[in-house]
Amino acid sequence: MSSAAVSDAQLIARVLVQDDRHAFGELVRRHQSAVRASLRKLTAGNHALADDLAQETFLLAFRNLRSFRQEAKFSTWLYRIAYNAFLAERRKTKELPLPDSDDGDPSALAADTAPPLARTVALGIDLQRAMAVLSDAERAAIVQCYHNDLSHEEAAFVLGCPVGTVKTHILRAKQKLKARLGAWAPEG
Amino acid sequence: MAMDPTNSDDLWLEQALTADAQATAYVADDGFTATVLSRLPAPATLPAWRRPVVVLLWLMAAGAVAALLPDLFYALFRGISALIVGQQFTLSQIAVALLLVSATTWSTIVYAMRAE
Repeated sequence: MSSAAVSDAQLIARVLVQDDRHAFGELVRRHQSAVRASLRKLTAGNHALADDLAQETFLLAFRNLRSFRQEAKFSTWLYRIAYNAFLAERRKTKELPLPDSDDGDPSALAADTAPPLARTVALGIDLQRAMAVLSDAERAAIVQCYHNDLSHEEAAFVLGCPVGTVKTHILRAKQKLKARLGAWAPEG
Repeated sequence: MAMDPTNSDDLWLEQALTADAQATAYVADDGFTATVLSRLPAPATLPAWRRPVVVLLWLMAAGAVAALLPDLFYALFRGISALIVGQQFTLSQIAVALLLVSATTWSTIVYAMRAE
């Protein structure tokens, strides 16, 4: 099978009509990275839990493939299932283990004297720590719009809320991140 | 999502978020797909015992109809054959035809069930 030439819609049709497990495997291969990366962000870096949820996401997608109406992209539909799986897990456990939030001094490497690569890496680390202080909804909105590269409308579909709510979550998230990462802001 | 160029105060944060997304964009499969496929529900198939039982029930039903309505069966077959080939068959000819059809049917059933 020439996977590049076959669209998601064609693979979905093969799964539905012929119960083609290889076609579903191809869908999983195509989207696993994005779904797992998204869940890793939502779980604040808990890779094991994120992968469990990603497996659950694809199993649910397989069972409910007939209900996929192609109104959204298949990847967007997967993100929605993944987000719902994350919420269900969150409700079940109440509190997900978050990564070590021992910040140290977040501005330690922010000085202009630090090498550019070191600055980028350090900012990335601080950003991940700062993401942990966001509420679930704020973090989810950031993940959908920046990491999954969705529009506000698509993010609203995934998160099951109005577009205005998505925008509000992003605005608040950015305010919190700016406050948390203030040392990285350019002067002036 | 496209960055908002109107808000230069946020530019550094936009860039940081975009860079972070790109840095963590790809997650290697590492057996993930195989694990998912192994956890899929088994394909829906008829239980092994069900097909021969269904065949047997159909045969019993056909036999019952033939035994209960012999005259009707005979008259119907003669009428249809006369309509199609333009001649009346004798009972022995009909019996041979039925035997051939039965043999063909059984051969087909046995062939179809060879995988089990």
